[in-house]
Amino acid sequence: MTQRWEVTPRYPGAGATLVEVWQYRRLMGFIGDRALRKQYRRTVLGWLWLFINPLFPIALRAVIFGALLGVGSNGLPYFLFLLAGTVIWDVFATSLNWGTRALEMNRDLTSQIYHPRALLTIGNMTPAFLNLGLKVGVFALALAYYSIRDGRGYLRGDWSMLWALAALVLAFLLSLAFSMFTSIWGERLRDIRFGLGQLLSVWYLLTPVLYPLSQVPPEHRDWMLLNPLAIIVETFKWGLFGVGEFYPNALGGTAAGVVLLLTGGLIYFARTEARTIAER
Amino acid sequence: MLGKNASLSPERQTWVIDALEDQGLGARVREVWQYRRILRFFSAKSVQALYRKTYLGPWWILIRTLVPLGVGSFVFGSVMNVPSAGVPYFLFFLIGQVPWNCFDGPLIRGSRGIEVNRDLLTKLYVPRIILPMGQMSAGLVEPVIIVLVMIASLVYYRVYDNVWYVPLRVELLACVASVLLVMVFAFSLSLWTSVWQARARDVRFAVRYVLAFWMMFTPVIYPLSTVPANLRWLMNLNPMTAPIETFRWGMLPGLEHSWGWFGYAVGVTLVTLAAGVWHFARTEAITMDKM
Repeated sequence: MTQRWEVTPRYPGAGATLVEVWQYRRLMGFIGDRALRKQYRRTVLGWLWLFINPLFPIALRAVIFGALLGVGSNGLPYFLFLLAGTVIWDVFATSLNWGTRALEMNRDLTSQIYHPRALLTIGNMTPAFLNLGLKVGVFALALAYYSIRDGRGYLRGDWSMLWALAALVLAFLLSLAFSMFTSIWGERLRDIRFGLGQLLSVWYLLTPVLYPLSQVPPEHRDWMLLNPLAIIVETFKWGLFGVGEFYPNALGGTAAGVVLLLTGGLIYFARTEARTIAER
Repeated sequence: MLGKNASLSPERQTWVIDALEDQGLGARVREVWQYRRILRFFSAKSVQALYRKTYLGPWWILIRTLVPLGVGSFVFGSVMNVPSAGVPYFLFFLIGQVPWNCFDGPLIRGSRGIEVNRDLLTKLYVPRIILPMGQMSAGLVEPVIIVLVMIASLVYYRVYDNVWYVPLRVELLACVASVLLVMVFAFSLSLWTSVWQARARDVRFAVRYVLAFWMMFTPVIYPLSTVPANLRWLMNLNPMTAPIETFRWGMLPGLEHSWGWFGYAVGVTLVTLAAGVWHFARTEAITMDKM
């Protein structure tokens, strides 16, 4: 039986990009695996970094900010509070980091064979989920420990917990939306990657991960709410533990902003990807 | 290697290529001195690399230094209410950042010394110890900016709050000593890390990692007095604690510090330096071959 191959130009546009990503979805795991291999090749510790990376910082920060500096935690054990905040923050930050590097890391692949480039951005984020899974595991352990020690369940255990899930999805979608822009820029400019690291470390400080929003002086609190991550993180903690405040309006605004940005990102990506690939 | 009997007469140049006759420490130091002009080249190169190929150019360095200063002092001072030894937290924060950045920046840059000059090294000879040294210069740009911001904020507090926080006195010399000490310490450590980094990629992540957490266990954003008294000796075992506390003691009157622990830090630095030079000299040839 002969196979007929038809070589035609790709239908441009954001919608077509999405359809194509779905058609090629089985490549996702392959791209994620590749990303991990590339990241840890020629390293001494290799795969151990996967574990050191998320876990070591949480432990040290808990000691300094919780035990030494006595930062508030809305009445929760500080470690648990920090862990929850870190889980949601890292969903955003790690996926953004991986997503931004997608086109640049897979240059050799892109120049050899056609595949939807938007898939690279999404597929390159899969290591972030490995990271998330690890942290959720630690979170479950810590939760069990503190629940047994203090004899009370810290989770609220009702339908409001779905808000935490919504916050998680929102954090991921926001980083996906940003990656649609940053992966293109990162392909053209090398310093985007370094700049991103620095931007994220400042952003991290301005997001209530290490401290609760209630500890921010009231005159600055409204400004903090302009940060979409602040709302996402607060909603996550409110949904999990019922501590802090729920900001329905701000959350709605954030969700709308994320949808807009994601649409804009897809359009931008679809329009520029070909040029970016051709120009290098 | 340009040997001792090389003569550079205008008519005829004779190049004698021989192996190093003397591998000892004295020979190393003399060699660095002979090549001192190339140090300037490497320094300039490393500073330019900070902003080369960026849209904002040198402004990029300024933004990168100033924004974290503002955000850090807001979060740690206003939100977390970290104690600040009786001065505005912003000033306290700046004072801690100066000696820390004199350590952090040079160490991060110095660690890349061999790695970034890889293509050059495979083509010609330079005393390799110059590489981490030259690369370190890039790390000194940030502390200089922070010192300028600190002076500006001192003037601000003088004009608006009518207080001058840093009196001119002999103790300021201790600040100079602390800064020099941490820079030498950074250099000694980069003698180890630059060799490792030329071999394994993850050393680079590891250096940044370790430094980010080292800072938390050093009284930079908080004073040592926050730490419970029975644990302070543990903090002081960290050789960065004493220089930073001494720097602060020299700047602000009415603080406490211990010369004993400062002496300990000097001791640790000297041992690290000696061991670093030995390690560097022993491994550089092997490292170059493997590149």
